[in-house]
Amino acid sequence: MTNSPEKKPKILILATLSGGYAGANAVGQLHSDYPVNTYVLPVMCPSMFPPEFYLRSFEQGIDGIIVMYSGTDSPFKGGPERTAQLVNQTYPLMKDHGIDTRRLKLAAICTVCTKPFIKEVNQMDELLGGIGFAKDEFKAVAADAHPVA
Amino acid sequence: MTENPEQENQTTPQSEEEIRIGVYTCYCGGNISDVVSCERVAKQMRDMPNVVISRTDMAMCSDGGQALIENDIKEKGVNRVVVGACAPSLHEKTFRGTVTRAGLNPYLYYHVGLREQDSWVHHSDHYAATEKAVRLMSTGLAKARLLQDLDSILLNAEKHALVIGGGIAGLRSALDIARRGLRVTLIEKSPFLGGRTAQLESVFPVNTAARDTLHPIIEAVMAHPNIDIFTQAEMISAAGYVGDYQVQIQQQSRGVSDDMAEATMEACKQEVPDEFNYGLTTRKVIYHAYPGCYPASPAVDWENYDGEPLVVKGQPTVLYNELKTFDLTVGAIVVATGFNPYEPRQGEYGYGEIPEVVTLPQLIRHLALFGDGKKLEWNGHPVRDVALVHCVGSREIDGIHEPHEDGQVNDYCSRVCCTANLHMAAELREHYPEVNVFNLYEDIRTYGRGHETYYHESLEKMVRFLRFHGDDRPEVVAAPKGDTHPVLVKVRDHLTWGEELEVPVDLVVLAVGFMPRDVGDLVEKLKISRGTDRFLAEVHPKLRPVETAVPGVILAGTAQGPMNIQETVAAASAAAAKVAALLASGEVELEPFVAKIDLEKCDGTGACVEVCEYEDAIALETFTVDGRQVQRAVVTPANCSGCGNCVSACPNRAVDVQGWTLAQYEAMVDAITLDIPELMEVEA
Repeated sequence: MTNSPEKKPKILILATLSGGYAGANAVGQLHSDYPVNTYVLPVMCPSMFPPEFYLRSFEQGIDGIIVMYSGTDSPFKGGPERTAQLVNQTYPLMKDHGIDTRRLKLAAICTVCTKPFIKEVNQMDELLGGIGFAKDEFKAVAADAHPVA
Repeated sequence: MTENPEQENQTTPQSEEEIRIGVYTCYCGGNISDVVSCERVAKQMRDMPNVVISRTDMAMCSDGGQALIENDIKEKGVNRVVVGACAPSLHEKTFRGTVTRAGLNPYLYYHVGLREQDSWVHHSDHYAATEKAVRLMSTGLAKARLLQDLDSILLNAEKHALVIGGGIAGLRSALDIARRGLRVTLIEKSPFLGGRTAQLESVFPVNTAARDTLHPIIEAVMAHPNIDIFTQAEMISAAGYVGDYQVQIQQQSRGVSDDMAEATMEACKQEVPDEFNYGLTTRKVIYHAYPGCYPASPAVDWENYDGEPLVVKGQPTVLYNELKTFDLTVGAIVVATGFNPYEPRQGEYGYGEIPEVVTLPQLIRHLALFGDGKKLEWNGHPVRDVALVHCVGSREIDGIHEPHEDGQVNDYCSRVCCTANLHMAAELREHYPEVNVFNLYEDIRTYGRGHETYYHESLEKMVRFLRFHGDDRPEVVAAPKGDTHPVLVKVRDHLTWGEELEVPVDLVVLAVGFMPRDVGDLVEKLKISRGTDRFLAEVHPKLRPVETAVPGVILAGTAQGPMNIQETVAAASAAAAKVAALLASGEVELEPFVAKIDLEKCDGTGACVEVCEYEDAIALETFTVDGRQVQRAVVTPANCSGCGNCVSACPNRAVDVQGWTLAQYEAMVDAITLDIPELMEVEA
């Protein structure tokens, strides 16, 4: 057993049950390794998350977020488009808060997209290894300064 | 106008009850505990707020493991349960049942995937994997604290199933469903029923004629009053959900009336390769699949008909394809779209370049058409020596074998071809004893009951076996002119310790594997998934082997992967049983994960209605509050998909998806970012 309590940036993965979450399980079934600092939360459809949710997550100590949605495989009408819209709305708010926008990524991952899953996680891990913790970037901005549509 | 906004869609007041959580960390028989220190996780959980009991077990899903949970609910007053185990898709339902048996609402349970998303992907760092497990379990606790009682949504179910595919799987499913008293609509893309089974002759393991099995099923299906059959028909759209799918079917016309059928066929001169015989023969564009096929009426092959008028009984006649479109409401859909035999690439084992190289399905059709049981001939030449090659288009190795058009190799075993190949070898030796048969194999996988008999029979009948390695497959080349045989098969035979052999033969037969059909259109319409092998994927190979992830869409037969006829029929009957269980009561139970409005927070902006993509799922209604008329959002649960578009749109956070609320996600994020005591300080 390696004792390595070194603090590493944390990656939150919001993964759809119809896509990324099943993809993450498929990676597990292959016993493929990927960075341990990843936390996959299952979601029905990420179109439920407003930009404030992402900002709050960064503020709390999440350093990178990958939204693994189902893209064209989504069982929810309009869900992927709405998700993309919300993620795009988040980027300017991240800039305003001094957060590197590369910390938030939208990726279409299917139930068997094992290689793309690992690739996305590794890329985010590598990025965070270079740019460090989100909290170090986070600038407090008045909550009502940037209303979200 | 609703007078009392408290009657529906209001958020249940937060319960005042004390939250008492039971936490259970599963060893999964070592699958988790070999990497994650489950005892340390359990000990850490004991100190967390609201946790009244934290246990481990070798297998929480076992009767004993479930009993632990049930007892804790009854004896310790546990009212929320978190289990960390395998993926939720495997045992979430199991544990929901467990807590229900103990008297808890099933949605007061939360499942954390520790196996696929921790121990199986972080083998090399047990410490970090254990710390991650604690955090993942903490997210479960965070969510569990905010769980509330939820009730499933009961909807009327249409007692009517759509079966897509008229091969033996679709036919068997349709018949079994109909015999349970449900209505069935069976659609088949081609003009004739029977699928691939109709193209076979003697089939293992009992050597009966395929059509002797097939035709009684077709006759029973055609005669059953609960079944409507539409050939040359396809599903062109699908909407809705289990119990209430609205589908649109489009059917081509048959093109010729029964009274003019023979005369029209006679008048038709246009010929195309006959796919029923794998291109060995041609057929007219007005045709029967085979003598005695069902339906008996000929049909026009609209894809190939050139549109030229035919002279029928002296009259110029043009055939018209009058498309018919109609709507159906069905409760469930069975996908029985079958498979295609692998078509070798040009030049693969000499296929397409050397005339004496054929596939096993082609040889079966050749023998059915021309085999007289006396003399085996190919292209008019006598056949004295035959090589049968296994694993063509199957068990390919990434990096060694050339990928297919989609960039993948067929790394799966097609399962059926070993026995089919040995069956052919034994039959050739029996009917044409003067023919020498060489069987070139990688492994012999005669796995089914009675299948091994064909291997022994082939040995007894002096079939000669040569064994190659998967990364060093045989090479088939044209023999030099003047040679005694037209083809040479070169193989490194590992039964003779790697001796390189050249076998001169008159015919090479490639035992081709199964290929998934191109059903991308159907996959998109039904939102179902494919596996890494590109066949349609079930939810779980053992626990839910014929269900897709889309409720009410069921798989039958070889659309799901390689199967022999026995397995196909068994899968089709399983699919029918699943449909009957779903629809027989006339009601289906849906998960309660739909939008819910907090009327105290809603101020009627209508933002939720604007972003909703579902008809009649959410709407503004007028309420009277304190004598004042106000607009408030109202959800119709049966029409809501639970996508959450409305959640992100509401400026007041007045709407949430039940069971998946924004507050729950925020709490889970907090659990991930929380500082936890150093794990090494926790004693095992």
